[in-house]
Amino acid sequence: MAYSDKVVDHYNNPRNVGTLDKSSEDVGTGLVGAPECGDVMRLQIKVNPETQVIEDAKFKTFGCGSAIASSSLATEWVKGKTIDEALAISNTDIVKELALPPVKIHCSVLAEDVIRAAIGDWKKKNGVETEAAAPAAAAH
Amino acid sequence: MTDYFAFFGLPRHLQLDTAALEKQFYTLSRKLHPDRFAAKPLAEQEEALRQSSLLNDAYRTLKEPIARTEYLLTLEGVQLEEQSRAATDAARAAGTEKKQVAPPELLEEAFELNMQLEEMKMNKQMGDDDPQLRKDLEVAKANFEGMLATAQIELESLWSRWDAAVDASDDTAKTKARDGMVALLNRRSYIRNLVRDVNAALE
Repeated sequence: MAYSDKVVDHYNNPRNVGTLDKSSEDVGTGLVGAPECGDVMRLQIKVNPETQVIEDAKFKTFGCGSAIASSSLATEWVKGKTIDEALAISNTDIVKELALPPVKIHCSVLAEDVIRAAIGDWKKKNGVETEAAAPAAAAH
Repeated sequence: MTDYFAFFGLPRHLQLDTAALEKQFYTLSRKLHPDRFAAKPLAEQEEALRQSSLLNDAYRTLKEPIARTEYLLTLEGVQLEEQSRAATDAARAAGTEKKQVAPPELLEEAFELNMQLEEMKMNKQMGDDDPQLRKDLEVAKANFEGMLATAQIELESLWSRWDAAVDASDDTAKTKARDGMVALLNRRSYIRNLVRDVNAALE
């Protein structure tokens, strides 16, 4: 299967690989996996408590090229965004940007999951409530 | 779609006599061979071809134990990837965090093991053919292979529990065995990747 140029670029030059201090108050950590292919993806974000802007993001992914590219792209996209803006990123945005083929869509799903998980962890640590989600859940 | 078990006239059992399956496969292959249909109407030829391709898929899937298990799970309504995507969509709609298919401790474990493996590989790339590193990798390999073997034993015990539940038409026991197999296959795919990676590092 041929990877798109953008996937190859992110794979060869992954942005923001690394670790932030997990125990720090302003750091949120998300760890997700796609068991069907054995991928694991970790994203850490450093959030400014005043502005709720994501000031830094680091990732570490063990998986295929598309999984690495998806998480690398995710770090680029969340940096500088507020957590609410970052939560609006969906896997279809990632699929479009990287031109992922259908068999690799689960990688973009993983990247969306990990953003949500990292933000969720930060919110939990900082006692930030998720706004009332009941109507949306009920409508589903 | 005809299910592969029904195609071979088998119950949905996971413990399977592969020698008998192979014999049946050859018998059916001969029966469906294109030569036997050369003089038949086109519609019949095409039907034989369709059956023959179904036979090949069914045999390939059922003879291999993991493929057989995965196939049975899809028949029982488990669609890991779909489930995963649907859960992501639901989480986005509700503005909540997605519940992971894999338990967090498994993810932690797989992540840690991958980190260790990567460190060992990086040290090895640094040039030193350090015998200690090689030893560490060998130890890791033995450890991962041991984990894979344990998973296999656990899987086999789930197979017999599943088969017994099918025979007893015990839906509760079936669900329990099914969920156990899903969890185990998830774990297994992480271990399998680790075995693959440690072998690559040792080459």
